[in-house]
Parts: sequence; structure tokens; C-alpha cells
Amino acid sequence: MLLDFNRLGALRYVLIGIAVLVLMFLVLPIVFIAALSFGSSQWLIFPPPSWTLQWYVELFADPRWLYSALTSLKIAVIVTILSVGLGFLTSLGLNRGNFAGKELLRALFLTPMILPVIVLAVALYALFLRLGLAGTTVGFVIAHLLIALPFSIISISSALDGFDRSIEDAAILCGASPWEARLRVTVPAISHGLFAAAIFSFLASWDEVVLAIFMSSPTLQTLPVKIWTTLRQDLTPVVAAVSTILMVFTLVLMISPVIFRKVRQK
Amino acid sequence: MPGTRPRAVNRRPRGAVPYIVPAFILIVLFFIVPVAMLLLRSVLEPAPGLENYAVFFGSTTYLRVFTNTFLVAGIVTLVAVVIGFPVAWLLAIMPRGWSAVFLAVIILSMWTNLLARTYAWMVLLQRTGVINKMLMALGLIDQPLSLVNNMTGVTIGMVYIMLPFIILPLIGILRAIDPSTLRAAALCGANKWQCFSRVLLPLSMPGIAAGALMVFVMSLGYFVTPSLLGGASSMMLAELIAQLVQSLLNWGLGGAAAFVLLVVTLGLYFVQLRFFNPYSKR
Repeated sequence: MLLDFNRLGALRYVLIGIAVLVLMFLVLPIVFIAALSFGSSQWLIFPPPSWTLQWYVELFADPRWLYSALTSLKIAVIVTILSVGLGFLTSLGLNRGNFAGKELLRALFLTPMILPVIVLAVALYALFLRLGLAGTTVGFVIAHLLIALPFSIISISSALDGFDRSIEDAAILCGASPWEARLRVTVPAISHGLFAAAIFSFLASWDEVVLAIFMSSPTLQTLPVKIWTTLRQDLTPVVAAVSTILMVFTLVLMISPVIFRKVRQK
Repeated sequence: MPGTRPRAVNRRPRGAVPYIVPAFILIVLFFIVPVAMLLLRSVLEPAPGLENYAVFFGSTTYLRVFTNTFLVAGIVTLVAVVIGFPVAWLLAIMPRGWSAVFLAVIILSMWTNLLARTYAWMVLLQRTGVINKMLMALGLIDQPLSLVNNMTGVTIGMVYIMLPFIILPLIGILRAIDPSTLRAAALCGANKWQCFSRVLLPLSMPGIAAGALMVFVMSLGYFVTPSLLGGASSMMLAELIAQLVQSLLNWGLGGAAAFVLLVVTLGLYFVQLRFFNPYSKR
């Protein structure tokens, strides 16, 4: 009864009411920002007096926004490639290897995910100041890679766990070298895991704020850092425009695994 | 007998170990070493000793940040559980198609850029923002409330960020409960409220505890949302650490504050793994 949707009685409507309110709480701010990005009021008055593309024009007219977006993109792409590559190797090692302390090592690889990012950010910042890596692309890539790698290892490991290894062995029996078998049999078989790892790694890097705030310099900053510094000065609707573009971008990235799966099934 | 065994199908247990080496080097060099260095500085700078920790726990200002952090994390967790539970409950038992739609909405909001979502609340909660205007139009208040740059703002923003993290695991836990336990309770004469408070709630308690602990730990170390929606009076640990290091260049004290945050986080995480892991025992 309490776990049977059709026999909840009046309680059903109470639950639906609460759930709808909570979902509105989750969604409306996002919709609100998207709406405001087309509003003419600089003071973000809602509903806006009239509609305009002014903030998007302002956004694209300022080369610093574009430059920081490109910086973000470049760093995220490098991080994604490294994260999927390293994640594949590491997952292979954790999946196939059998040695003392393996589970401890797996936990170690995932720790950057549970540790407060601020601790990692401050610690890396101190190290990078000494190494001269603060405010460099390399510094950004290393920092973001630490955050992205756990996502990669989780996605690829779970795909590898579901992969029947004897297929790889069969390829080797048929004369393939171990790496040939891995690249031509295993990799295609776990491609959904690799794809998920790529998406998660990309988003982890692309959305990273806290590490990026510490890694950035006045000349090199990612998009989130640019948004962060702008927000600390004023609530300009240009940020609403950037936010809206980012939300559409995330939406597309999120739907892509579903499309990827559909295409593969055909 | 050479030749009968194909060359590579030996499953040498150690054969795959070298693959782990690159990631291991990365983690050691850029994770373990810097964090250890930071913690070392907390006991070495400006002079060796526990001076920094004495300062941290001896100063009312820092101690207030510390208690503030726990207070905010506690309130956020409580609110998130109370409003997240009914949603998870409904989603767990709803017809699949509808729950998939609801789930997609929750996951989408979770993956939307954090700064974009925090910005939304900065705009919504400001003195001339929609919420104040609505409350005034409804005649509930005469003067705009200050909803931002204080604890109210931080709490609203943080609950908003944390809700998906409590709803999603709870759905799994609630789906795993056998409905026949509730039918049995009803057959034995329990009314709805008794079924809820003495069967459903206790059965979902391990999941609630695990999810709540996770949200609490995440809230303790949060930086972005509290620093944008909070004010000087509602500062939390993460922002204090950033300020000590970036503006005051006090690495010793910053390291000490980071160490405190680290110990609390890892301690609570360990408690969760040991006592509340819903997947370990069943």
C-alpha cells in the first residue's frame, strides 16, 4: 500500500504536490535565468519590460569572454584525452591485476572526489607557486585531471567488469597480440564506458571552479573563473547570457550518450 | 610442452600492474605530496609547533566560522532530507515512464553549471528580486527581506545544490524495500501512519542516514555557493581557508584550517563506509 502507487489514496496527491513543488524549485531558477538573458532590464527585473538580444551581443563583442571560453575548451579537451587514456590503463590494471593493496589503491585513486576541493586547490596552489606552474595551461590540466580521473576510472572499470574477458583471450588465441586484442576487441566492446568517461571528464574540467580560481592568472583564466570574477563585481545580465549558453551546451552533452547508444544499436 | 600454450593467454596476476603506474605517479606527485606539504606547513610555519591550531581554536572569530560551517551543513542536510524524501518516495513507486521524466529533470539540474545556478539565486533573492517582490505583492511583508549575503541565502542556495544528491540515492533504497512488508503490517491492523512510522521509515533509515551524511560532508567543504550567497557573518570554513591563503598569505593557519576540514571530512566518510554503507551488508 504505501509502496503501491495505485493504492496510496489521498496520500498520492500529497506526494505529487510536494514533488511538483520540489521539481519547480529545481527547474524554475534555470528557466528564470534563461528568460532574463533575453530581457532588456539591466537590473534584472522580472518580467522584463521588453525582450532583446543585447546581452548576447555584448557577450560576443567582448573578446575576453570568447578567449576564456576557448581556454576552457582547450584545457577540457586535453584533460578528456588524458583522463580517458589514463583511466583505461588504470582500470585495466585494477581489473586484471591481482596484488596486495589493490582495493586500497582503488580507493586512493577515487579520493580526490571525496576530499573537499578547497583543500586540494590550496595545496596544489602552494606546490605550483614553487614549481612555476601557477597560471599555466599545464597547471590547469594537472589540476583538472586529478578531478576528472576518478569519474573516468569509475565509468571504465564498471564497463570492464561487465566485459567477458574470454572474448579477448579468443582474439589472442586467433593470433592477435595482447594490445591488438585490447584495442580491437576490448575497446569497442566497452566503448559506452569510454564514452561516458569522456563526457564526465570533459564536464568535470569544463565546470571546475574552485581549482580553476587558484590556478588562474590575470592572463589565463577559464570560463568559470571569468564568470566568478564578473559575479563578484556585479550581477550583469551578460552572465545570464553566458549561463544560458552553458545550459544548452550541457543539455546537448547530456543527451549525447543516449543518442550514441541509439546509433550503435542500429 | 612449448607451443601448446598460446603466448599471451597466461593470466599472470602481476602482468597488469605496470598499467597503474602512470596514474599512481600523478596521484602521488600532485595529490599526496601537495596535501602533505600543506599539512606540514601548518605545524612548521611560522615556527614549529601547534601554535596555528591553538590560534584557530582559541580565536572566537575562527571558532565562529567553524561552528557556522557545521550549523549551515546541518540545516541544509535536514531541509534536504525532509523535502527530498517525499520526492524520492514518489519517484520510487511511480509508473516508470513518469519517474523517468522526473529523474531526467533532477539530473539535468544537477549537471547545469554550478555558477549559473548560484547566479540564479543571487538574482532571485536580492532586495529587488522576484521573491521579495512576490512576497510584497502578496502583502506578506512591507519591507523587502534581506535574503542574500547571509545565512538564509546560503541555506537556500545549498539546499538547491544538494537536493539531487539526497533524492537519487534514496530512490534506489526505497525501490529495494519489499512492498509485502507493508502489506503484512496493514494486514496486522496497522493504519497508514503506523505503516509509515514503524515500517517504511525504519526500513529506509540506513539509506537516509547514508545520504544525509554524504550531503553533510559535501556541505562542510563547499566553497562557491556559500561565498557568493553568504556574507561576512555567515562565512564557512572553505572560504576562510581561501582567504587565509590568498589574501592574508598565512599558509600556516590556512594549512591548519584545511587540516581540520580534511580530518572531519575523512572521519565522517569513514563512518559512512563503516556503518551506513547501504550496499555493504545487504
